This record gives sequence, structure tokens and C-alpha cells, in this order.
Amino acid sequence: MLNIENLHVEVEGKEILRGVDLVLPAGEVHAVMGPNGSGKSTLAHVLAGHEGYNVTQGRILYRGHDLTAMEPEERAREGIFLAFQYPVEIPGVTNANFLKSAVNAVRKHRGEPELDAIEFLKLARDKLALLRMDEKLLSRAINIGFSGGEKKRNEIFQMAMLDPQLAVLDETDSGLDIDALQVVADGINALRRPGRSILMITHYQRLLNYVVPDWVHVLVRGRIVKSGGKELAQELEAKGYADMIKAAAA
Amino acid sequence: MMNADSSIAIAHDRFIAIAHDRFAEAGTPLGGVRLPWLESLRRDALERFRRTGFPTTKVEAWKFTNLAPLARTDFVEAIAQGVADIATAVVDGYRLTPDCHLAVFVDGRFQPALSDLGRLPAGTRVVSLSQADEADLRLVTAPPAVDDAPSARALVEFNTALMQDGVVVHLGRGAVLDPVQLLFLTRPGAAPRVAHVRNLLVAEAGSSATVVETHVGLGRGVYWTNAVTQVVVASNAVLRHYKLQAEDEAAFHTAATSVRLQRNSAYRAFMLSLGARLARNELDVLLAGENGEARLAGATLARGDQHLDTTLRVEHATARASSDQDFRNVVDGRAHAVFQGRIRVAPDAQKTDARQINRSLLLSPAAVADSKPELEILADDVRCSHGATVGDLDKDVLFYLRARGLDEAEARATLIDAFVGELLDGIEGEPAQAYLRRAFADWTRKGARP
Repeated sequence: MLNIENLHVEVEGKEILRGVDLVLPAGEVHAVMGPNGSGKSTLAHVLAGHEGYNVTQGRILYRGHDLTAMEPEERAREGIFLAFQYPVEIPGVTNANFLKSAVNAVRKHRGEPELDAIEFLKLARDKLALLRMDEKLLSRAINIGFSGGEKKRNEIFQMAMLDPQLAVLDETDSGLDIDALQVVADGINALRRPGRSILMITHYQRLLNYVVPDWVHVLVRGRIVKSGGKELAQELEAKGYADMIKAAAA
Repeated sequence: MMNADSSIAIAHDRFIAIAHDRFAEAGTPLGGVRLPWLESLRRDALERFRRTGFPTTKVEAWKFTNLAPLARTDFVEAIAQGVADIATAVVDGYRLTPDCHLAVFVDGRFQPALSDLGRLPAGTRVVSLSQADEADLRLVTAPPAVDDAPSARALVEFNTALMQDGVVVHLGRGAVLDPVQLLFLTRPGAAPRVAHVRNLLVAEAGSSATVVETHVGLGRGVYWTNAVTQVVVASNAVLRHYKLQAEDEAAFHTAATSVRLQRNSAYRAFMLSLGARLARNELDVLLAGENGEARLAGATLARGDQHLDTTLRVEHATARASSDQDFRNVVDGRAHAVFQGRIRVAPDAQKTDARQINRSLLLSPAAVADSKPELEILADDVRCSHGATVGDLDKDVLFYLRARGLDEAEARATLIDAFVGELLDGIEGEPAQAYLRRAFADWTRKGARP
């Protein structure tokens, strides 16, 4: 699904990713863990195509095609979804209007018929139930007046609506209390399916207790320094990142 | 090449000559009987205009708006009389709803045959200025509700001297008129025309009305609409006054609306300004009675080389009144939007609640928005706030929308829709809101054309 090869990325002239290699097969759930400043969010943004992140070396292969020259909307239409760490607030645009445009942009690209208002509402109701969210969400402006937990749930709801092949979840667990974390994790688990790959980017092991990954990568100072099974996450939780930071600096 | 100042002087002299010819005709300046007080008032207005001339950018209230292109143009007065040969279908294209009460003006002249005023509710009167009674004429020629320098008011004086027609909307006590549309159509002619329109809206105690004022040009060409509107909202009355300025893009539009609010009354204004090469929308509101409420909002949509100015003066003369100004600009191309908002709170206007916000969205590097708040607060127990922002579309927000599959053009259109749409949400009454939404959608579509 996703092959990242020797990826170097600069932000405002500063190199943040310094040769990332990562393979995420179809249908698997991988976690990328790392301390603050290790380049986790940069990895998420560069996968989604943010223009502020410059790929200086290496490539990102998504289903065999190089992503690096693609616009963000092309990536989205090809099935890549980024759940934002800080979802933006957009006054004056309702979730329903926005999501209907987004869903239909993706469907059109896939050669599927666009949804009319009734079909859209039916789909939205099904997915809202999955996230235990109120239907009123649809008529509210995007993320306006939402709590931190609601914003994160809204991201997962959007993921459910857009039905991606590859979902990148950027610190989806941050800022959630334990109940909200449970709901979000249940939502993610419900969206796991054969053929869909999920990359969970997180600082803490907490989310991984609920959404158990197939594989864990540790990102330190812009490189994957270690990969392993889910027990690697527990090891990090116990020992912290200090040893790995030291090893990476050496 | 002639410099701007001398050409202004020539145009100015020409207008003065026209006015003198008109007065020399003596006759009946506004249809009915000769009123010596009115004639002398008009001569005085002309004299003041002669002294000040057209405002220049040296006049504080006009520092952002240069009238030189207007003053340089040699206007003739719009056709003196007669029935305009315009198809009903043309009128219907701009009509608020198929069955709304409607007063139509063409080139500044009332057109009874195109109007639809046969079913007015009891206690209401909608007539041409030529049928105004003396009391109406006194109200319509009252000085502006809020003070400013005489040099800032030259266009109002000019209108007073040369006005020929306009509309009088009169609501008796407790009357309801919802909605009525005032439709001003202009046909550009071979020579640039000017129409000095003079209107009066009076809402007596306890009455309620929605007035939708529309200005459109029928075809391309230079013309000038110079409108002055006097508004009186008596105690416990509510007046919703929504204006669409959609003049032709070669036209000039200057308008000065002056509102007096008595106790417990409410005035709700929305101004959607998207037409004209150069437009100036002035709105003066005097809160003269306790618990008066003025809610003023508007959107200016400017592109190409348009220059669109909104100038507000809100005066709290009494305690416990509230005012709210919420104005937004969307500026593209090399266009220029101006917002000037004055709030003055008189020394004994305690418990005043006054707010002002002006936000501008600049869609191109050459677009300009000027914002000038002016607060003069002479009372101490008040709540006043103001704010202004100018910016491009938020890049993070655009990225968010694109990361969900919207292309850049869709993402931008979505955000512009939202920016203006939020304000349109505040328009009361479905027909008026739908009407202005359509006008906004037309503007958006026109911009999307290659």
C-alpha cells in the first residue's frame, strides 16, 4: 500500500525528515511513535501533500505510484485520508455541505455516481451512529464550538464517510479523556478492514491499548530507528524515548 | 493634459448652470404646489454646493474615495418625463417576489404602469415624490441625522437642489407592509445621465415593514445615481431595510441614507454592494430614543477596477440604545473597498451598547481594503467595541478542504461563500434573504466565468 523510501523533507529550509524508510502493507495497522520534534507531524502532512513541506530526496509510493508531485485533493480522491491533529474551525460552512462536496468529489473520481441529498443523509446517519455522534452535527459549522473530543470524533466520522484506502491518523488520541478515547478507538476499530491500511501517529502508547497495531515504528530525529511488534510500544511506555534519542544522536 | 482640479471646477460650474436654469423655470419643482420654503431651501443647498464643490480627498470623510472620475464626467439629466418603454419581463427579472408590492423607477422617474401598488394594506401609502404632501416634503428635506462637515455633504446638497423624483413610503400607526420593493432601473444613454433620487421612509408608531431597495443598470454605459433617503422610525416600530446595489460596472452610485430612531424602535439594514465602477454608500443613524436598536450589516464584493465605499455614522444621542455594525469586504483584481465606521456616544448616552466589526478578504495581491473606525465616546458607562481584520483566505483551512478532496477553486469558493453567507443568515424574512443570496450567487458565477 505505502512504501516510503529514503524520504527527506524540509520545512522552511530546515531538514526535518532525514531518510525515512517505512513499508505499510495493505490491510495492516502500523503505529509511528516518537518524542516531540521527531518529525511525526511532518510525516503526516507530507503524506497528505501540504505545500509547506518540501520533499528534497526519496519518494513515497502509494499503490505503486509516486505521490510526491500530486496535489492534496488528488491524493484524497485516490483514497488517502489524513485525520488532523488540530482540525480547523470553519465558520459558515456546515459539516453536511462540506462532506457532501468531499464525498462526491471522491466518488466522481472513482467513477461512482454522486450521492443526492437523501442518499448522503442516509450514509451520514449510519456513520454517525458508529461514532455515537448526534445528527445535529451535520447542520453545525465545521468544528465551531466543538470540544477537543468532538473534533477528533468528527475526523474519524469524516474518515468513515470518505472510505479511504490509506488513513493517516495524526495524534488522534491527543487531548482526549478516557471516555472519548474509547469512543474514537471503537470507531477506528470498526473501520479496520482487509485492504485498508492505517498509519497511527502518536506520542503515547495509550491509544495502542485500544487499537492494537500490527507493527510499530519508532521515529527519532527524522529517521525510523527501530521497528517491531506491538510489544515495542509497551517497552517504550516503560523506558521512554531517552535511550533511543541517545542512540540516534550517537 | 487637464489637471483634475480644474476639470472638477468646470463640471461643477456646469451643474450650477443646470440648477439655475431649472430654478428659472420656476414652475413646480416637485409636482405639486409651489412652496416658497422649499424653493429657498433648494437655492440654499445649491449655494452651499457652489461653495464647497465636489468633495476632494482632502475632505476627511472622503480621504479614501476620489470623486474626480465622476466630477470629470459631463452628465446630462435623465429624461425629464414620460413612460419608460420597458417590458414587464425585464422588471420581473429583478423583482423580489412575483407578488410583492413594487414601486418601479426608470432613470430616476416613477413608473406607475410598471409598478404594482394596487393592493397596499390599510394604513400604508407608497407614492411618488411628486405626490408627497407638505409634511413629507419637510421630512424628506431634513438635514442629515448626524453632523459632519458641510464639505463632506456636498452630494446631498446637490441632490436637494436638483431632486426631481423618488418614493415616499409611509406606514401609519401599527401598519404592516411586508415586503415592499423599490426598484430603480437605469438605461444608460448615448450621453452619461444623472438621476438625483430622493426617498422618504416613515414608519409611524408600532408599524412594521420590510423595504427592499434595488439599483440596477439595464445595459452597459456610464450613468450616475445620486440618491438621498430619509428614514424615520417612530416608537415601537420596526423597519427592515435591505439594499442591493447592482449598478452597471461603468456606472457611478452615490447614496446617503439618514435614519432617525425613536424610543423602542428597531432599524435593521443590510447593504449588498457589488455593482458600479465607483460607489459610495453612506448610512447615518441617529439613536434619538431610549432602547432604540440599529443593526447594520453589509457585504461589499469588489473585483476588476471597482471602488466601493461604505461609510457609516452612528450617533448615540440617548441612553440605553444599542447599535451593531458588521461589514465584510471581498476584494479581487485591482479593486478597492473602503469601510469607514463612526460611533459617537453623547455625554449623557449612558448604558450605550455599540459594536463594530469590519473584515476584509483580499483575493488578489493588487486588491486593497481600507478600514477606518472612528470612536468618540463621551459617556463613561458604556459598552463599545470595534475590530477590523484584513487577510487572504487561510492557508491551513484551504489545505484542510483540499485534503478532503475539494479542488483549490472549490475550496476557495466554499470559504468565500461562508464569509458572506454568515452575514446573509442575519437577514430577516425569507424572500429578502433568498433575493440577496441569489444576487450573491450571480456575482460568484460571473467571477467564475473565464
